[in-house]
Amino acid sequence: MNIFKELWKQGKLASKRNPMFDKSKTAKIWIYIGVAFWAGYLIFLGVMLGVALRGEHVYRSQLFGTLVLIPFIMVIDFLMRFPFQQTPTQEVKPYLLLPVHKQRIIDFLLIRSGLDTFNLFWFFFFIPFGCVTVVGYFGILSLISYLLCIWILILINNYWHLLCRTLMNENLVWLLLPILFYGGIISLIFIPKKFPAANILLNIGEGYLNFNLLYIIPTIGIGVLLWIICSKLMKKLVYKEINRVDDTKIKHLSEYQFLDRYGLLGEFFRLELKMLFRNRATKMSMRVIFICVIAFCGVMSFTPVYNDAFGKFFVTTYAFCAVGVTLLQRIMAFEGNYIDGLMVRKECILTLLKAKYNLATLFVILPFCLLIPAIIKAKITLLFVVSVASFCSGFVYFLLFQLAVYNTETVPLNTKIAARQSTSSMQKVITFAALLFPMGIYPIMEWACGQKIGDSILLFIGLAFILTSNIWLRNIYQRFMARRYKNMEDFRDSRNNE
Amino acid sequence: MIEINNLIKNFGEKTAVNIEHFQIQDGQMLGLVGNNGAGKTTLFRLALDLLEADQGNVTIEGVDVSKSEEWKKTTGAFIDDGFLIDYLSPEEFFYFSGRLYGLSKEDIDERLKEFEHFMSGEVIGQKKLIRNYSAGNKQKIGIISAMLHYPQVLILDEPFNFLDPTSQSLIKHLLKKYNEEHQATVIISSHNLNHTVDICPKIALLEKGIIIKDLVNENNSAEKELEEYFNVEE
Repeated sequence: MNIFKELWKQGKLASKRNPMFDKSKTAKIWIYIGVAFWAGYLIFLGVMLGVALRGEHVYRSQLFGTLVLIPFIMVIDFLMRFPFQQTPTQEVKPYLLLPVHKQRIIDFLLIRSGLDTFNLFWFFFFIPFGCVTVVGYFGILSLISYLLCIWILILINNYWHLLCRTLMNENLVWLLLPILFYGGIISLIFIPKKFPAANILLNIGEGYLNFNLLYIIPTIGIGVLLWIICSKLMKKLVYKEINRVDDTKIKHLSEYQFLDRYGLLGEFFRLELKMLFRNRATKMSMRVIFICVIAFCGVMSFTPVYNDAFGKFFVTTYAFCAVGVTLLQRIMAFEGNYIDGLMVRKECILTLLKAKYNLATLFVILPFCLLIPAIIKAKITLLFVVSVASFCSGFVYFLLFQLAVYNTETVPLNTKIAARQSTSSMQKVITFAALLFPMGIYPIMEWACGQKIGDSILLFIGLAFILTSNIWLRNIYQRFMARRYKNMEDFRDSRNNE
Repeated sequence: MIEINNLIKNFGEKTAVNIEHFQIQDGQMLGLVGNNGAGKTTLFRLALDLLEADQGNVTIEGVDVSKSEEWKKTTGAFIDDGFLIDYLSPEEFFYFSGRLYGLSKEDIDERLKEFEHFMSGEVIGQKKLIRNYSAGNKQKIGIISAMLHYPQVLILDEPFNFLDPTSQSLIKHLLKKYNEEHQATVIISSHNLNHTVDICPKIALLEKGIIIKDLVNENNSAEKELEEYFNVEE
């Protein structure tokens, strides 16, 4: 029996027989629309950037322009993987008792991760970009070589992400690793006088374009090295995870007594806080996202890295949306663990949704405070920050809350190794939309109406959704209740399969 | 009164529940017995609107449970771990459950005193989250939380499971007392015939989703018939 083939088949079956699959049929249409939109957007960006560089007609500046984008794309790619990718240590649990060496299973999961189509998504940008910039000067063979190297770099980023993510699951201090790595590379690009980063990039770029094995083999070597490190480390950590000691005694139980005055809403708010802070799955994702937000806001406020218009908008939007996505992407999936208990109590779910909305809206305060230095330093305006905060708490949360109706897979609360937690198509679509819609719509609005009017439109759209939140939350509740039997059954099934 | 009308639930080809008509009077204590797969838990889930019936309905005080949520105010239930919020301590879970029914912390503390013996010093004040308790203690927490708001209808699935003999005896007395003092309708399912016969004046025997016997149990009169059905030999 070919174990790789069997596990590959099981991976496919796991997705196909996922309780979310039924809904995925509808969601698939949306995912195709979403993918088409972003593919189109990336193609457009690739062509436009390529054309802009082509106009310069200077060989070395064009070459540099072609390469200097890569580190930034790697950062975005690294961040995008958080909501969409699971690490093999999280996926390996169902296979632990198989009579197969664990190392082989981990290796397979690593290979599967490398072959994921997610790693090809950036080609929507690089193919048109390469066609415009590379082909004209260097020829079609150089383009093929260039794209091959880009794919290797994306694979390296994939394994680098898995490595960092695995280490961060053990100790959050490891978050410094990607921050220092990407921060270091980007800083080197911005201080060309002190360090010959530009020349190094140019040499590497030329090597890639000319299919120079002196450059390509070390690149592949880095990928292989990362793969080996991931494989060995994950095997070690799987054992550590199995021997984990649980939290048998709690020193201090937080009561959040100030919430007593808010009645039932306060009670569910308290439940939400306890869920976030007492479970490994939620606690870890909150920590990671807060550290990322703090890092991004700090870099924008105190360094020139994000001084361009898109950079500022990217950081501000990311700071607000990422917290919401982290809190709400798996909305109701954690409650799947005790959904029966909630459902035998009247209108519990509606109050729960309201508490979740209030909490998520309150969390907006954090990125807002973190962006104050950037406002003081006049890098961004107060109106802009308020607008993005409002748009996020209104429209983006409205989008994310729709998942309360469609999430039907219970997510274990207190384990790092989870039974295969796939991200459903609907989750992907809505998360993609929540993260990227503001980033897509804002430049268009700014271009069409100017900055102040664009900001004001965002502000009013957000406010409209915030002020009508009770209405759309009730609508979500009614839709949830209308499909409650299906959802409860799926929650129960996925809970029992843990 | 709880009324089951024309209730059918199928899982694929298999019929899990098929009950034409069945009534449970107010204040009655009913034991539901049957072999594995007889449909006891499915029937409970249907009665609690946790499953969709293919046909028919269950009404509590005339209210179709699938059409309104009003019955939830006066019903308490515990079926399995899916009713427990395991990242809370037992005290927090009791306060949370109680507050959903409008009880104050003081009310809840007062009501918990009734269960002190049942908890045998192992539930309250342990500074532990529910997930770190044994199966038996989780069972106790679930049962207590279902009873805290003094529901008029109490539904418990296998309440004797995981409990030590002393606790089994205690829960029998607690349920009997609760039924008498509150005139509440109590429905329990169990594989333990002795316990069921001891406390339930009425027993329904379920087989392949059908109630094949509706037994009146006075002075353990149903015991012989049940033993014959389950082929229990002395």
